[in-house]
Amino acid sequence: MSQIWSIGGGKGGTGKSFIAGNLGILLAKEGYKTLLIDVDFGAANLHTIIGISKPERSISDFLNRRLATLDETVLPTPIPNLYLISGAMNNLDIANLTHQQKIKLLRNIARLSYDYILLDIGAGTSFNTIDYFMIADSGIFVTTPEPTSIENVYRFIRSAYFRKIHHVLKAHDFRTLADEAERQNGNATVSNPEILLHVIKELDPEKGDIVEKALRTLDFKLILNQVRKQDNPNIGELICKIIERHLALKMSFIGNLSFDDHVHNSVCKKLPFVDLYPYTRTALDLRECCKNHLSINKDKTSVQQYLTA
Amino acid sequence: MKLYQEKNNYELLEIHPDVAPTEIRHAYKILFDLYQDESIATYSFFSEKERKEILSSLEKAYLTLIDPESRKLYDRDLVGLGGLEEERTYSNHKKNPSSIYDFKKTHVQGLVTIRDPEELKYRASQNPVIQNILDQDTITGRDVKKIRTELKITLEEIAEATKVRIEMLRIIEEDNQELFLPMVYMTGFLKSYVRYLQLDEVVILDGFIKYIDKGK
Repeated sequence: MSQIWSIGGGKGGTGKSFIAGNLGILLAKEGYKTLLIDVDFGAANLHTIIGISKPERSISDFLNRRLATLDETVLPTPIPNLYLISGAMNNLDIANLTHQQKIKLLRNIARLSYDYILLDIGAGTSFNTIDYFMIADSGIFVTTPEPTSIENVYRFIRSAYFRKIHHVLKAHDFRTLADEAERQNGNATVSNPEILLHVIKELDPEKGDIVEKALRTLDFKLILNQVRKQDNPNIGELICKIIERHLALKMSFIGNLSFDDHVHNSVCKKLPFVDLYPYTRTALDLRECCKNHLSINKDKTSVQQYLTA
Repeated sequence: MKLYQEKNNYELLEIHPDVAPTEIRHAYKILFDLYQDESIATYSFFSEKERKEILSSLEKAYLTLIDPESRKLYDRDLVGLGGLEEERTYSNHKKNPSSIYDFKKTHVQGLVTIRDPEELKYRASQNPVIQNILDQDTITGRDVKKIRTELKITLEEIAEATKVRIEMLRIIEEDNQELFLPMVYMTGFLKSYVRYLQLDEVVILDGFIKYIDKGK
């Protein structure tokens, strides 16, 4: 059973693919059999980060049934132990998967057998994006210390929160309860999921318990990327604190990654950053984050829970 | 899970009920920075109304707890509502600074006895052994020790009361002249010793100095 990490975070350009690629390389170098999957359909570029300029196969070959199994779309990479399923598409429609395609993909990802599977998730907070994020054993948010990107993280987390409640309750129940919550509290529910949960618990304690338990299985992590010298290095901790205080979700801070122009260079050269500049501050930070995350994360199998729920 | 609105002042400020005022101030400052308008970490998380509500509830909590009187009242209410165990309140936990003189090198439990000076004087005047010693021309350390044992006072008690190290008193009592400090100290120690016994210090010190001089 492989452990799945998803790397997301709402806003584009915060370094999700960069972090996914480089964490993958670090895990592979530690000796873990690691698979990177680019699920940022429509804007896939994880392959470039790890130095493959033209992937021969991609996930679309599986979805369009050109290849029978997801396993066949796996590409070897220049790094031993590291494998890639590219999301690069020549089919324009594929960016918007149908529900069936999505379920099929999720099930097949869960069946793959690697030590670690890293999902690189696209920007935005559509249901598709959130679902990829939530099948993971560990959801890693990437944000920069800028209001725009923090705003999107909060939005993403709230969407995930609602999505989870939605998923646990059936659509009809959810609507009734949400309406009731809205009636009691004006418009507050949309911005304050805490109240929604409270109302659910009051109206139907049994369902409330189930929902609360389900929410507790969510296990989020946070990486603060592109931290410049003048930035407050504690912002990451503070964000986690806010989430825990006001949403009652578990969220742990993994670490800061320093801003470094070398990252730009490595992307331009289309070579993996941790290989090209292994002794820069940022590379050390990445290794630290990888180590932290490995030690925080315990073996869990939420994939199964998600698919059977 | 507790709704934010239902938290008590201590939970709001994320402190234990028994912390000191400095910690309350510190906790408030951190949270104020976190929730204030300019804070990046809470950007967009709260509506303006929510932010104001949180800040005002934090301020209220802070002002209630930072004032010792209102804190005491608040604690009492909280204990009454069952939100706090009485033993954990600050007023029950507060430690007063301890006196530096509490540090005793020869501390033995139960030594501090309150003596009535008049009674001591009376006992000394009625004791023939003591009167005998006082009539001598020279008085040795051993004589002083004899007086003390006649009065049934322990050396530890004297050390405790005079703040003279017990070793020094022993050196005097045993006439151990090799270990003597300069005479000015030894007579000083003896003076406090004798005063504690309510004896005539002039007589004893004269006798003692004569005894020492004779030995030279």
